[in-house]
Amino acid sequence: MSSKPKVLIVDDEPDVLLTLRVILEASGFDPALAADGETALRRIDAEHPDLVLLDIMMPVLDGWFVLAELAGRAKKPKVIVCSAKSADVDKARARDLGADAYVVKPWDPEALVQTMRDVLAAKHAGTTDNLRV
Amino acid sequence: MDVIPTEIRERIRYEARVSGLSGDSALSIEAVEKRRLQIWIIAGVLVVALSGAFAISSLNGGLEGNRWLRPGVLQIALVALALGFCVYAIEKEVHLHRLSRLIVDERVLNSALSKSLQQHSALMAAGRALNSVLDLDEVLDVILASALEMLRASAGSVMLLEGEDALRVVAVRGSETPRNARVMMGASIAGKVARTREPIILNGPVDTEKFPGRKKRAVAPDSAMCVPLQHRGHLLGVLNVSASGDRPFDEYDMQLLCLFAEPVAAAIAKAGLYEAERAHVSELLEAGRQTSQFVASVSHELRTPITSIRGAIAASRIATEFEQRAELLDVMERQALRLAHMVEEMLTAAKLERSESMPLLRRVDVAALIRMSALDSQVAGRPVELTVPETCEVRADPESLRRIIGNLVENAHKYGATPVRIVLDHDADQIVLSVIDSGPGVPPAEREKIFDRFYRSDTNGEKPGVGLGLPIVRGLAEACGGSVWVEDAPGGGAAFRVSLRTRAADEQEVAHVQ
Repeated sequence: MSSKPKVLIVDDEPDVLLTLRVILEASGFDPALAADGETALRRIDAEHPDLVLLDIMMPVLDGWFVLAELAGRAKKPKVIVCSAKSADVDKARARDLGADAYVVKPWDPEALVQTMRDVLAAKHAGTTDNLRV
Repeated sequence: MDVIPTEIRERIRYEARVSGLSGDSALSIEAVEKRRLQIWIIAGVLVVALSGAFAISSLNGGLEGNRWLRPGVLQIALVALALGFCVYAIEKEVHLHRLSRLIVDERVLNSALSKSLQQHSALMAAGRALNSVLDLDEVLDVILASALEMLRASAGSVMLLEGEDALRVVAVRGSETPRNARVMMGASIAGKVARTREPIILNGPVDTEKFPGRKKRAVAPDSAMCVPLQHRGHLLGVLNVSASGDRPFDEYDMQLLCLFAEPVAAAIAKAGLYEAERAHVSELLEAGRQTSQFVASVSHELRTPITSIRGAIAASRIATEFEQRAELLDVMERQALRLAHMVEEMLTAAKLERSESMPLLRRVDVAALIRMSALDSQVAGRPVELTVPETCEVRADPESLRRIIGNLVENAHKYGATPVRIVLDHDADQIVLSVIDSGPGVPPAEREKIFDRFYRSDTNGEKPGVGLGLPIVRGLAEACGGSVWVEDAPGGGAAFRVSLRTRAADEQEVAHVQ
């Protein structure tokens, strides 16, 4: 296992994938990319990331489907939903489906990285009730 | 209820008193006749008695010794007495005759006024019922229920004007007339009433020559009436009632139905206004909902490029390699252009909405323009296949045309499926530019709605966009004197078609006007 936390970035916007990859690499993470839900689930199964940054509106399989799929698993990565959807109903839905944090786009890069660290730290401390919105 | 005018009542009392009858109790023709008989019997008995006395006095030569009772004097007295009584009897007869006429008049008036009161109370009840409802269907229901009850009719229908030259059945009761049946102005009974605006009453079989276009009924009514419904001089429709068996309508019924038609027309007009107001409120609510959805869509659509730009700026600060920085600058440029494009779309939609800055139309080779737009689409990752002639000129605004093609190609890639084709057909008068995709097509119910501002067929917002692309296409096409519509493409998929007049057709029209 690599010493850097492995993060899967799931977003259908290539430019978001590109910029997040640069930021996360520079911030000490080991990023992997997926442009749709189907690829995300495949990479989660194959690479077991520590954290998933998950967009909601995507082609093929959307973020809700990925969250629901992960919710039924005993061993699953931490998930931070990163979406332009800002309604309370969406945040509540994400929490119900087991998301660890919810970040509304446009995110502040530094704040996003801090949230990622907090969520990962909570994992190690065994805390699960830490949904941030 | 006493509804007779006081003047008639007073005259009856006077004549009764003069005729020797009591004016206080209700007088009847029978009582008058009885009184008349009494007078003439008395008159007859008296005349007979006087005639007998006259004869006896003539035979006996009078009473002797009394110079006043001599035969001549006695006979003159008897004749005078008989004459006097005759005058009395004749005078009574004159008063009794007047009295019987007044009693008949009183009965006629009483009957007429009672009927009028019944009419008014029926009309008031119907008016109250009409005022209690606003919904058009309920109003029509009350109209027919009231009309049938008021006139003891067995069937009825309301027909409302549809356009300028037809009537449509909107409510039926007890009749075989199908709802939604259409009658042309002037045809059949209802059409004739609508045209002439004169009511018609029919008793017995209908003369089909007099009313051409009337359909034969399985059970024809024995009696029928049809009145126009007019409100403030405008014809709204007609009201029909019919009866069968022993209920022939008369002039009183017609008068009642005509009176009833006035509040009926007012109620229908009011219900129409109510419907219009309700529709307006619905429109406003829908507009409000669309605006909220638009604001949500716009804020969502703005967030995505802003996220990329902010991320790219932050990333470029920490990026160490030159190539990486160059790539991040490209991200910023792309997303900035995306934002600019969105703002441009919104401004264009707003301008088209206000009909501002109409494009300047000039000669454009639409075939060449399609080829150029296809190259742009190719670069943007949206390939298209072309079936266009070498050259084809129209009179249009080239920038508008370029945006029409761009938006339609983007729409085809977003909501349809590849391959996407552009086909250009033309004849002497017009060109038809078709953008055809290989997707599921557009359901008929949505084929107009998708051109409404902010309308999103994808209600979950899973596809990016704010619902302005197609309204802009329609606005620009119309500003160029053309039109746009969508239909199923032969072989499946949606075909968005834009028709524009050719330059030759345009010039011909200009020459014709000159």
